[in-house]
Amino acid sequence: MSTALWLCIRLPRLAQEALAASAHQAADAASLAKRTVDSAAIEQAAMERLAAWAYQWSSLVSYQLPDGPLLWLELAASRSLFGGHAALLANIEAELSQLGYSHACALAPSPAAAALLTRAGQQRCVSTPVELHSRLEPLPLALLALPEEVLAALHSAGLRRIGQLLGLPAAAIARRFGPAISLYLQRLCGTASDPRLAWRMPATYSARFEFDAEVHDTTALLFPLRRLLLEFQGYLRGRDCAVLRFTLAFEHYRQPASGVTIGMSAPARDAAQFLLLVRERLQSLVLPAAVSALRLQALEFTAASVLQADFFGGDEQQLQQLQLLLDRLQARLGDGQVRGLCQQADHRPERSWCFIPPQQSTARPDAQAATRPCTLLPQPRRIEPPALLLSGPERIESGWWDGGDVTRDYYVARAADGARLWVFQDLAAGGWYLQGLWT
Amino acid sequence: MSIPLPTGSQRAQLLEQLARLCRNGEPNRASRLATPSGFPELDANLPGGGWPVGAIAELMSDASGIGELSLLVPALSRLARAGRYIAWIAPPYLPYGPGLAQRGLPLECVLLIQTRSLQESLWATEQALRCPAVGAVLGWPAYIVDRSVRRLQLAAEAGGSLGILYRPPEAARESSPAALRLRLHAAPEGLAVEIQKSRGGISGLTLRVGVAPTVAA
Repeated sequence: MSTALWLCIRLPRLAQEALAASAHQAADAASLAKRTVDSAAIEQAAMERLAAWAYQWSSLVSYQLPDGPLLWLELAASRSLFGGHAALLANIEAELSQLGYSHACALAPSPAAAALLTRAGQQRCVSTPVELHSRLEPLPLALLALPEEVLAALHSAGLRRIGQLLGLPAAAIARRFGPAISLYLQRLCGTASDPRLAWRMPATYSARFEFDAEVHDTTALLFPLRRLLLEFQGYLRGRDCAVLRFTLAFEHYRQPASGVTIGMSAPARDAAQFLLLVRERLQSLVLPAAVSALRLQALEFTAASVLQADFFGGDEQQLQQLQLLLDRLQARLGDGQVRGLCQQADHRPERSWCFIPPQQSTARPDAQAATRPCTLLPQPRRIEPPALLLSGPERIESGWWDGGDVTRDYYVARAADGARLWVFQDLAAGGWYLQGLWT
Repeated sequence: MSIPLPTGSQRAQLLEQLARLCRNGEPNRASRLATPSGFPELDANLPGGGWPVGAIAELMSDASGIGELSLLVPALSRLARAGRYIAWIAPPYLPYGPGLAQRGLPLECVLLIQTRSLQESLWATEQALRCPAVGAVLGWPAYIVDRSVRRLQLAAEAGGSLGILYRPPEAARESSPAALRLRLHAAPEGLAVEIQKSRGGISGLTLRVGVAPTVAA
């Protein structure tokens, strides 16, 4: 088995940046100080979301809030999967920048060393214990994650570089500075095991973002949403699954929360696609009140094997383009605003068709003998007997079994403006009706 | 630093392009592509031999029910059988499934899109035109400005689709950037089609097209 390889991400401004309501503006110190009560909670929530996001690259994710915050990913197993660790690291750093978090990353064979190297300036990636040793040697002692008084004691003992300390026998260090220091140094070099509490992926997804100040307009929701959706994409990739729908809840001050459900016509997990749909939906959304917090929630997941995006090719690509169109239309116009048409086997014109969800195909009833018009009125409209009949009659009798029985004679008539009308005479109740147009 | 001058065939090509631009006022890419209308008398008089693909055509009908939709159905059926969808944006009447199917239009390709405002209709029209899976988009805007028509024209070009706008007869008095503009009048045995504007083609002609319902004996 190859040696372990840990990626450590230091997020020095996590709490401030988690509160940022736009890409350029992190929460200022004053507003953060006002919120000292919950800044720890904000940091914790942001870290939980990041852990879920990180799960796409590693099944062993761990984090620590004090002296950091620090997020670790064990990458020995994933290295080959993502095209080598340089490519992987570049990928991870790019997404962190997209999320809007300042960060310093380092790779090392032990979690403690990776954490240390995030503060070491240049050359932050070492992959073998030998390389690690020579990388640590010239670094100043102050980088060690040790209490101030221990660092002071080491300094007064004449030690300046990590190499000098590592050159001392472990037993002597334990005797002089305590066993905890000795264990830390062994863990740093990877000679003692350093068990980390592995982050456990929750079964459902729920991420919350709290605004620093209430937000009144829907465009202001987009920046935090972009981040939430990107983190959500990471979670979905980590679980190797996709969603058909997710909900966005808007929390309001002194009012019950409102929300929208974003539905897809095919399972998806692409943050860009989600954002597009959310943007469409937000355009037509009227907020009942200012928003104080956002929550993204997904309860049901489907296997990624049915993902449309995994297919390529003419028809599949076309289908995918159509799905995107339908999703966008539905997001902006509302559910049920996009429909398909089908035929039904019934002689009564008003019952010989119905709406169906788009893209469905249905059995085709036998072709009708006589020509039918292209358009129908929603309801037959009572008219005066037409002056000019072009053809007919065609007798339609039907429906005695369901109470909707009709006996009608149909004609093509011509109106004064030249329009060709599809009219009938109701033989049971009398009277003439207009039912369709030869458009 | 000097800018290299085009030479030889490159130069000839550029000159030809320029000449084309001067002739038509705009590049004539879209009008070269056309989808047959299914009416020989009409195809013979439209550039490319049919409805302009990747462009907007405006149909201004004197009345409702004179065959203004039947005129399109053969082309729509052809597009649908090629696997492309037909989007109907807020039609003023109900497209009647049995009638359309009878004329050869597979109903699986029909997308009926309802909207609540003109703005939503124009937005949906543009989205549908841009989608390569959609072959034709039919819209009935009560009112539309040139800028919007131009936008839709670009969308149709991007999606390679046919955009049909049904406009009231009064619209014929104004100009429009649409590639093709037809006025439709009722005629005894069909429809009289007057070509009011045809980019890269002949305008001013009036043609008789047989779209009347087959009169069953």
